[in-house]
Amino acid sequence: MFVFLQQIINGLAQGGIYSLIAIGWTTVFGIVGVINWTHGEVYMLGAYVGYFVTTFLHLPLIPALLVSMLAGMVIAVLVDEVGYRPLRKRGVLAATGFITALGLSTILRYSASAAFTVNPRAYPELIEQELLTLFRVGDSAITISSLHLIILIGTFVIMVALELFMKRTLTGKAMLAASQDMQTLGLMGVNAELLIKITFAISGALGAAAGFFIGLLYAIDPIMGALAGLKGWSCAILGGIGSIAGSLVGGILLGIAESLTAGFISTGYKDAIGFAIMIFILLIKPSGLMGYKFEEKV
Amino acid sequence: MKKLRINSGEWLFGLSGRVTFLISAILILFVCFVDKFHGGKAWIPSYTQHILVTCLLSALLALGLNFISGYLGQTSLGHAAFYGIGAYTTAVLLTYTGLNFWLSIFVGMLMSMLLAIPLAAASLRVKGQFLVVITYAFCEIFRYIAINVPVLGGTGGMAGLKAPEVFGVRITKLAATNKGGYMILLFLLVSVAAFFSWRVQRSRVGYAFAAIREDEIAAEAMGINVKYYKTLAMVISAAICSIAGSIQAAFATMVSPELFSSTKSIQIFSMVVIGGRMSIKGMILGGSLMTILPEVFHSVKDMAGLSFDPWNILYGLLLVVMMRVRPQGIWGRKEKDEG
Repeated sequence: MFVFLQQIINGLAQGGIYSLIAIGWTTVFGIVGVINWTHGEVYMLGAYVGYFVTTFLHLPLIPALLVSMLAGMVIAVLVDEVGYRPLRKRGVLAATGFITALGLSTILRYSASAAFTVNPRAYPELIEQELLTLFRVGDSAITISSLHLIILIGTFVIMVALELFMKRTLTGKAMLAASQDMQTLGLMGVNAELLIKITFAISGALGAAAGFFIGLLYAIDPIMGALAGLKGWSCAILGGIGSIAGSLVGGILLGIAESLTAGFISTGYKDAIGFAIMIFILLIKPSGLMGYKFEEKV
Repeated sequence: MKKLRINSGEWLFGLSGRVTFLISAILILFVCFVDKFHGGKAWIPSYTQHILVTCLLSALLALGLNFISGYLGQTSLGHAAFYGIGAYTTAVLLTYTGLNFWLSIFVGMLMSMLLAIPLAAASLRVKGQFLVVITYAFCEIFRYIAINVPVLGGTGGMAGLKAPEVFGVRITKLAATNKGGYMILLFLLVSVAAFFSWRVQRSRVGYAFAAIREDEIAAEAMGINVKYYKTLAMVISAAICSIAGSIQAAFATMVSPELFSSTKSIQIFSMVVIGGRMSIKGMILGGSLMTILPEVFHSVKDMAGLSFDPWNILYGLLLVVMMRVRPQGIWGRKEKDEG
């Protein structure tokens, strides 16, 4: 029981990171309708920007996070400008978008491994890592690492900010509307192109933030984006495409499931379990756990 | 409904399929045996032969995936799974039971066909973007199984597989070099697969595939059993990829979890996309291009002394440019109404 609780706590931070990646996927998919396969690469580049600003510019935690999110925004908007916009203008994005995304992600991934070399790198210690006792069960303490706690708080703050942006601002409402019907929205006088760019910027910022957080926990390398991107997409599907709350739940569930698998079955199957869950959910309920709230699609 | 036009025997330079087969058979035999009949230095280096074998393997894989990504128009990023299943089945059977290699190919095919059924079931429920992820994840799961099951050799895989025999002669001793036998074998298999695809394309089944590709709901309304044909396509394509896997296992004399890598799946998919979906010669071209170009750029890397492989970056660029300039692939037909 004690180990079980501890594993759940351990999985939370990873789950939060997955949620951030998942929201980046789901916002872009909702509005542009293409699986933005480069999202994993934005996540990886965000982690690298974080590494460079903390190692060479010695920025503290929060400014470094903001710089890395800004970089993520720029990269994601550039990806759209260079990759998807020409196809969108010709109206062939639906047929060719996915393969273009695949190509762009390959370019980004291997350019990064050419530029940064494939050796893993670790962030400098930004905050002191210690184990905080949450509560006690009998005579054993349930603990959480301070890093995990910071990541969870960061994820939570970003999510709340995003939710407020979506619900309270006109742009956010326009994005919600765009996920329902882009064409009609264009007829209503909304600048669709600008809206798409904002969507990509948000997605890039969230991806980069996730990359930064993973950098706090583990060493980063240029090919980490592939697996993480896929897991983020799994979470987005798990929670229901288009639902921010769903992505959050999906991410946390996957994080906990992986942590439990690592603790009770085998670390080797940790990554496989997420995919098995995703296939299972897609086959049983293709709309995902919270996908029924279709009007909340972002 | 759109008029269905199937390109008939337009093979290379407008030749008929039979003539193309004969010409390429003569070429392959020449490559295999030329060094046996003259003394001195070999004309065809072993490296070239190795690349030729790999080209043929790739062509076989592309022809397999063509059933899903070409005829049915679905995207699969998981066909390396069947490639790996074929290879691992052969490796396990050869190592632990000492079964005949040729029989192990059929067992591998059977395994792949059985395991294709869950994937086919998935393709009935979801399609497009979601199917991409399911197939990708499907393949990844097998990779983790291959890494984690001790019997399968873990990360290192299984090595030291014996070369198969044809009528008591080792396949490596058939031609001038040890690659020749495989080249002939693969050439025959690619020919059979190409002929098979060509016949299927022009059959009742092929027309059903085309109808499902163009409009699934309309096809169902016209009385085409969509479930049956989708499953059929998945099973056929799994079986073809599995054969390629079994031969790869024997050719490399080893198997490793890298066979299941997503890079391999994406490579197979891009062969189909670059060659031109639904075009049989396109598959062979796509497979060859995606094998030769990496080798070329690898030697560029060695010559220029680069610290990274330029091919991977160019490969991404190739896909992006291809989608911009010629989305239907080099030898593909233009689709009028996609999406």
